[in-house]
Amino acid sequence: MFFAITGVFISPLVLALIGFVVGVLGGFFGVGGGFLAGPLMFWAGVPINFVVGTDLAHMTGKSIVAARRHRAMGNVDIKLGMLMIIGTIPGIELGAQAIELLDASGQADQVVGYTYVFILTAIGLFTGWESIRALRMQRTDQLEARGALDVPLALPRRGIFTLPPMIQLPTSGVQISLWPVLFIGLVTGFLAGFLGVGGGFLRLPLLVYLVGVPTHVAVGTDLFEIVISAGFGTLSHALKGNVDIMIALTMQTGAAIGAQIGAVGTRYFSGPTIRLMFSILPILAAIMVLLKIGG
Amino acid sequence: MKEEVPERSSSDPSLRPLLRSLLLELAIYAPLVVLYFLLVLRYANDFLTELFNRDTILYAVVATVAIVAQAVLLERLTAWLLRRFGLR
Repeated sequence: MFFAITGVFISPLVLALIGFVVGVLGGFFGVGGGFLAGPLMFWAGVPINFVVGTDLAHMTGKSIVAARRHRAMGNVDIKLGMLMIIGTIPGIELGAQAIELLDASGQADQVVGYTYVFILTAIGLFTGWESIRALRMQRTDQLEARGALDVPLALPRRGIFTLPPMIQLPTSGVQISLWPVLFIGLVTGFLAGFLGVGGGFLRLPLLVYLVGVPTHVAVGTDLFEIVISAGFGTLSHALKGNVDIMIALTMQTGAAIGAQIGAVGTRYFSGPTIRLMFSILPILAAIMVLLKIGG
Repeated sequence: MKEEVPERSSSDPSLRPLLRSLLLELAIYAPLVVLYFLLVLRYANDFLTELFNRDTILYAVVATVAIVAQAVLLERLTAWLLRRFGLR
């Protein structure tokens, strides 16, 4: 099929299939899936200048579908999502400014690449280690499941976690200081602006380990956050002429169906199992980035 | 902190209504998604391409609306159809 905006011939079935795979992952893990969709779109023949914007467009649609599904299951903490956005927006701007500074010094690709690999590997290893530990504790009854899941020993609630104002998050069942929530928004926003990714792979573990949000609610809330950040990104990239809406809609055909399946799939697994499966994603992404840097 | 959701088997009887609801919804939603895409392709492809080349601001707005509409409207339509036929 000929996509006139980008001027390329690509099979719509391949695009829909990419959308479906990324949709299932997005619905299940609460990630945008840009780290996977981007390289696959480029491989399918989408010009590089259209990859990021078009990916964000399809990510917006897919995340709306998955977030609505998670909301119906009670997995979206809207208050938490809205508070994080306050930190996310200036974070994105700070990240974009940092990239411009690095661009001026001609070191952007290397610094961004290695930062990405370091963060992804650290998240993957930590999440994998913690979820295996939580699963073992559940199986052996060494600790009650609650103690194993929220990692209270690794991250004691002191300092910034108790700094006023304190906020109640009834959906997540958490009372916490506003500051760590804003900090998570700022850090993930910074990385979104700096690395050009949605940041779901970082936000999910931070919500679980720092804020103490149950994994299922973290997945739903992460998707809610992605709807807003990816929607903003879509508009911004479309204004720069970087979005082929026909390619995005083709991918969305598969992604919308995949997102529904992925979201419902979370009901079949416990939090630690979801986190253990999730831990593979950042490692895969790190390998893909390493290959890109090497190539 | 709320309790985490425990592990469940796909044969868990408590999850059967959820699975049935998903399958019913997909049976209606999937054809609607494909139909929406084909309608946009048939009637709006040339318009969108022309808009992309002529008016970037309007294109950005229409593109964002098209993707959001696909996600929101089709799901609402699916929910309405399910209720209309007494399947939900």
